[in-house]
Amino acid sequence: MTRTKGDNLQGALAVLVLKSLERGPMHGWGITLHIERISNEILRVEEGSLYPALHRMEQDGWIAAEWGLSENNRRARFYRLTAVGRKQLAEERETWRKITGAVGMVLGFGEV
Amino acid sequence: MAWFSRLRGLFRKDVVAREQEEELEFHLAMREEWNVQQGLACEEARRDARVRLGNKSTWRERMSEIDLMLVPGTVWQDLKFGARMLVRHAGFTTAAVLALAIGIGANTAAFTAYKAFFKRPLEGRDTGRLVNVALSLQSGETLPVFSLRDYEDYRASVRAFSGLTASSNFETLTLTGAGGVASARSASAGTLLGRSGVFPATQNTELASVHFVANNYFAILGVGALRGRVFEDADSSKPASTLLALISENYWQRRFGGDPSVLGKNFRLEGIPFTIVGITPHNFVGTSVDAPDFWLQLSAEPLIHPDSNWVRDREAACCRVFARLAPGVTMAQAQAEMSAVAGHLRSLHAPGSDRAKPVTAMVWPGSPFPMPLDHFDGVSYVLMLILGAVGLVLVIACANVACLQLARAASRHSELTMRLSLGAGRVRLIRQLLTESVLLSAVAGFVAFLFSWAFLQALVVITADAFPAEYGTFVFHVTPDLGIFGYVFCLSLAAGVLFGLAPAFESSSAALSSALKANKGPSPVRGRRMRDTLVAIQVSVSLVLLVAGSMLIRSSIRALTMETGYESKHGLDLELKFPDGARYNNSSKNALVHELRDRLASVAGVAEITGGVAPDGQELSTASVSLNGEEPSEKNIRAVLFYRYIQPNYFETLRIPLLFGRGFQAQAGDPEPVVILSDSAARQLWPGENPIGRSLRMGTGGQFHSGGQLVPDGRAYEVVGVVRDTRGVLLDGGDSQVVYVPMPEDHIQDYPMVIRTQADPAQCLKAIGSVLGAVDPDVVVTASTLGELLLQTESFAASGMSAIIATSIGLLGLVLASMGIYGTASYMVVLRTREVGIRMALGAKRRDILLLMLRESTRPVLGGILAGLCLSLGVSYLLRHVLYGLNTIDGASYAVVALLLLGIALLASYLPSRRAMRVDPMVALRYE
Repeated sequence: MTRTKGDNLQGALAVLVLKSLERGPMHGWGITLHIERISNEILRVEEGSLYPALHRMEQDGWIAAEWGLSENNRRARFYRLTAVGRKQLAEERETWRKITGAVGMVLGFGEV
Repeated sequence: MAWFSRLRGLFRKDVVAREQEEELEFHLAMREEWNVQQGLACEEARRDARVRLGNKSTWRERMSEIDLMLVPGTVWQDLKFGARMLVRHAGFTTAAVLALAIGIGANTAAFTAYKAFFKRPLEGRDTGRLVNVALSLQSGETLPVFSLRDYEDYRASVRAFSGLTASSNFETLTLTGAGGVASARSASAGTLLGRSGVFPATQNTELASVHFVANNYFAILGVGALRGRVFEDADSSKPASTLLALISENYWQRRFGGDPSVLGKNFRLEGIPFTIVGITPHNFVGTSVDAPDFWLQLSAEPLIHPDSNWVRDREAACCRVFARLAPGVTMAQAQAEMSAVAGHLRSLHAPGSDRAKPVTAMVWPGSPFPMPLDHFDGVSYVLMLILGAVGLVLVIACANVACLQLARAASRHSELTMRLSLGAGRVRLIRQLLTESVLLSAVAGFVAFLFSWAFLQALVVITADAFPAEYGTFVFHVTPDLGIFGYVFCLSLAAGVLFGLAPAFESSSAALSSALKANKGPSPVRGRRMRDTLVAIQVSVSLVLLVAGSMLIRSSIRALTMETGYESKHGLDLELKFPDGARYNNSSKNALVHELRDRLASVAGVAEITGGVAPDGQELSTASVSLNGEEPSEKNIRAVLFYRYIQPNYFETLRIPLLFGRGFQAQAGDPEPVVILSDSAARQLWPGENPIGRSLRMGTGGQFHSGGQLVPDGRAYEVVGVVRDTRGVLLDGGDSQVVYVPMPEDHIQDYPMVIRTQADPAQCLKAIGSVLGAVDPDVVVTASTLGELLLQTESFAASGMSAIIATSIGLLGLVLASMGIYGTASYMVVLRTREVGIRMALGAKRRDILLLMLRESTRPVLGGILAGLCLSLGVSYLLRHVLYGLNTIDGASYAVVALLLLGIALLASYLPSRRAMRVDPMVALRYE
């Protein structure tokens, strides 16, 4: 997946979406709410970029989509994680852990 | 699943778009609700939702962009940009596409026609298993025909073939009792070739072309009848009241207008009655290249030609043999088995015959041609020339477009510089320019494909009607072929890369250096050397093509007007064909011919009549000549010369002067044992000496002869005279060396008559025709003027056709080269506008500017002409075999073509340069 440079949240968006879908399928709105709620409104999903990102992930085979009925009986497109997606999620988590660890190391240098 | 999604994105765009819309609406609605739940007012809620999602159209664009990521983004960008640029510079694009289309189109047409004609298979079902069969001698000579008895033996013994069939060569027979549409009978006159005089005019009866085929022919090929039925093996055991015939659908339409009552109709060929039992499919040619008018069974042949002995004579090699390989058998296995059988059959042949010698069988993929193509020397040579020529046109086209591209790249200098300074790498720039070239050539390839398709279809239509109906229908298929399309495609891509590469490198380095130097204007000097080289290449190749074309034309004209050495303008050649049968034995034929000649002598306009093959006639017989009094054998042969039986008044009739000695004496009974030599024959046998009084012996063993022909073997002849040479039909003049032998009176019916007329021979034809009709209407007479005889020879036809092809190709090249020069000069003018303005401001006159432009444009042309002249020397050497009577270094052609090119080049550079003259200095200096 090509990532645009200097666009960290875009990069993070993928792993956040994948994680959100770990427990079960959700539609795009559900993913948005989930991320905002769980992060205590600190992370705000840019809704203009969400669907393109979902589309790209679908084309890359990480998630699969199908139409279904939402909680209030409206037609909505639900996304679920595929096997490939699960693998990707594990990899991306590992990458994030390394990056944040590294950032922490640099920031914590010289401090007691 | 991922791929499914991608493909869906590409191919079901509308469905996907609708779904995305729906998803978008859902999300908006949910956000709106959420906002309301959080306490926002309705309006506010909706606005906030929309703002969060962002611009709808941007959103949609981003969604669709992702779909396009099947292609890496930058290449797609390049293509879009390239397409835009090409559309913007429509003039350049049109010129370049046209040039390339001509080059690639000519190549494709030539390649396709070659494949369609020479690589055509036999027609039938499952043609991959059909093969041709022939024998090959140790000397390398091929024997493509077999006798019927041999054919039957092979058919019985060779297991490798699941079936073996035979067909004889094409014959024309007289047709009577057929009725039919009256206007169709003068078909000869209307057709293309009928008008050109290539076919001799028959005087008194209708002819039809016939193929004799074995009963199992259609079964082995796997083809059925359009209507009625075809021949079957069972026919030989069924007694039939009349003989069976099939009619081809083509002839059925042309001659009978598609009248369905033709089935079951009776008619006569050579006086023998036949019944039509079936119609073969449209354009069905079976094992040849033309569809005959009628198909007859081989078993009918002895009735048509009672004098021939096909059925019983093992030596009568009449038929070509084709086979279907048995399942699982390879051609090599079949060949081995057949060679073994051929070895057994050797002892059954007469000791002197070719088939008694050690032979091997040849089995190769089925084809209408009697020998595998690499055995046909002359043909492959001409083919190479033609394919080479169209290849050269492609070279010109590529050079042309490269030139235009280069010039245009120079004019895009500022754009390139800007992109460089914005951070594009040089490689990226080159890739961009290359992509444009490839796009251009892809479009050109498509157009070329259309051009060549249309051209070939036109060719098919023309050839269908080119031959008179009597000679069958020549069928030429052009089948769509993935291979050819692939060839064209690769060719055009290669051309794109080829002509794009050089300019891309050139202009990117130019832009780079000037970006670094902050030089604002485009520099016309840049790439000048490459441009000049390209122009020179175009000019030189065009020159070569035009020189070749003009030499070939001149040689054809030469062939027509050259000194023949005899009276060719007022001569007629009459060939008689007697029907077979008891009525026509030697003495009755002889009496007939005598009566004919007496009557003809009294026709107004006839000056003199003689007997013998005309100097340009097609029957050339050769004999080995020995001078030591013994019978000619390998040890004592002095030369192999042509010989001709003639009557004593032959030389007077044709006005061939006697140089030394005397002519033949007319006498009854056996002619005297003397010969007369042509000048070159005398010099060949006794160089520098007087040949009169010398004696020679001739032998025809081992030379080609038809059965029953009179041969001069067995006795010694004394030379009594020498006559001047006549020009023959062979290009190397070999057949001017002739030994003339006196014709016995009782054989005059076997040879053509030559008549000298007082006025135009065509006028006498009618009168002659009526005399012939009065004497015996069953005898078929073929009359040609002596001039037309020359047109009917193969070498002339080949030379004429080469001339036409070469000239058209040369003209194509000229057009392309002129376009190239014009285009380049135009761009140069645009680029140098600023320089011109400066010069004029400094006092240069308009005339000086013009001269400057002309000088610059013409310099590469001169170089190209020089190079082209040198190359032409090489080409003349290659063409020496088809140049009839011309020096290899034909100064006139060279000079004319060089001047022509120079003139056109000057004109092509002058026209745009005139614009340079009209430049207003003030405008020019302000131009940035």
